[in-house]
Amino acid sequence: MNSSDTLSPPLRTTGQTATKADTRRTLLPWAAGPAWFLAALVTWRWPDADDFPDTSQLAALFLAVGLGLTAAAALHRLSARAPWAIALGLGFTAWEIAQAKLLWLPRPFFGTPQDLLDVFLTDWKRLGDSLLHSLGLLAVGYGIGAVLGVAIGVGLGRSVRFRYWVRPLIRLVGPLPPVALLPLAFVLIPSSRVASEALLALAAGFPTTILTWSGVAAVDPAYYDVARTMGARNRFLVLRVALPAAMPQIFVGLFMGLGVSFATLVVAEMLGVKSGLGFYMQWAQGWAAYPNMYAALLVMSLMCTGLVTLLFKVRDRVLSWQKDGLKW
Amino acid sequence: MVTHRPLGLQLTHIDHGYTIGGTFTPVLDDISLTIAPGEFVALLGPSGCGKSTLLRLIAGLEPPHGGAILAEGTPITGPGPDRIVMFQDPTLYPWRTVRGNVALGHDIAGRKDPASVAAAIELVGLKGFERAWPHQLSGGMAQRAALARALVNDPRLLILDEPLGKLDSLTRLTMQTELHRLWHDRGFTAIMVTHDVEEALLLATRIIVFSPRPARIIGDLPIDLPPHRHRDDPRLLDLRKNILVQLGHSADW
Repeated sequence: MNSSDTLSPPLRTTGQTATKADTRRTLLPWAAGPAWFLAALVTWRWPDADDFPDTSQLAALFLAVGLGLTAAAALHRLSARAPWAIALGLGFTAWEIAQAKLLWLPRPFFGTPQDLLDVFLTDWKRLGDSLLHSLGLLAVGYGIGAVLGVAIGVGLGRSVRFRYWVRPLIRLVGPLPPVALLPLAFVLIPSSRVASEALLALAAGFPTTILTWSGVAAVDPAYYDVARTMGARNRFLVLRVALPAAMPQIFVGLFMGLGVSFATLVVAEMLGVKSGLGFYMQWAQGWAAYPNMYAALLVMSLMCTGLVTLLFKVRDRVLSWQKDGLKW
Repeated sequence: MVTHRPLGLQLTHIDHGYTIGGTFTPVLDDISLTIAPGEFVALLGPSGCGKSTLLRLIAGLEPPHGGAILAEGTPITGPGPDRIVMFQDPTLYPWRTVRGNVALGHDIAGRKDPASVAAAIELVGLKGFERAWPHQLSGGMAQRAALARALVNDPRLLILDEPLGKLDSLTRLTMQTELHRLWHDRGFTAIMVTHDVEEALLLATRIIVFSPRPARIIGDLPIDLPPHRHRDDPRLLDLRKNILVQLGHSADW
């Protein structure tokens, strides 16, 4: 039934290639540690081209990662990730040589690995605080938008009168980029935080509304008939038939809304809210503190991918009944 | 899970139709019919004649334009759990397991009765598949699950809208036997739409023959045979010839 069930394992043509591949698979994990030891050695022994901070701490960090990877190899925990672990170790080595030892690229726009480490070591408190502020803003705005989006989408899909009154409003306001409303929102709503939350709700709400509506409108009418012949009332038809049936589409809307929310969040923090990762980046750029900006970008990227991963985890759980779905 | 008191129905002068693209199409024309409690009535007729519409009216999914449908003297105003429909497609909810689908009627009524759900699943031969998702079932298994979902409500009237129409012929034979056994053991009233004359002859105590749309009743044949019939019974062959003539096929067909 599942297409992946019918896939046969790759055919092995000769015994010789099989053993070669097996040898590579068993030896490769052991190369990950040395790649990072190399990075540590280069960092520690090769003199820096300038007075960079935290060189010995960075060397210690590389050494620790190398030791950790060696332990993982010994415990057979590394097989699939080994190529990435090796590539990263070599990549850090190359970056260290190119920038910290030979200073090929112009400063301050391009930093060294120790510059980046220094930001995390000295400014972690402010970075962490910015992350929490961004997450807080997102949680409230996106949460409200998602709930409202699903509710409005169900209304549009189920009620003719609701559709008559709400559809023109959705068509007028929905496609507008939420960022375009930012200047107005900051004027109309005294608290820049509340204004940003409202815009985030709008950003998350529009795609969720449209996709929920489309999902609810596409529900097979026979599903309603089945429940109705057993005496189901409207409440059951909405909550236990329409919503679960539309759930695959709803998650597409939630995913799209999350993307628009990220964009809106960053712009809102850069323009109005005096906290959060967007504000931090704005501030770092103002002081030409480029390593700080890179650090904030890295944190923001991890936050965004973490939230998307979380959404997909929830989706996989809720939609476990589906035959097959995208694997994030 | 034993059905008490099968439901009797009185249909008087039912008219019905649909407006499609601005033009009104009559579908049912002056249908009057009395169904006694415990009967197994088969509705036969050319395809598209309005038999399924009649079932929707009896189920209470739509009100008729004209006439009245009485269940034991009380007009039917809406769907009710004593009149359960089994459709041509199993229409299982893909987000519920077999067990969840069979328990649908209980969920709607707001009660929990896992024992009767398990019993209904066992009755249709799906024991061991309680946790399967609908997409993992074959067509016959899905239709069995739909049957269990209907039976768990302990219906007094089972409304069957060509429930075996899409099954392969072997599965169909088995399901016919099981439907007959269930009706015989549980004693509910059954109304079944079918295109299969042989199926009607095998299961029904009475066959109603409809004209092409708008449907009128053109034949009402009691099948006066013992409940356990053999498919090759010569009396069935005679009846079959008779019905095919009523449906417009010549006698030497």
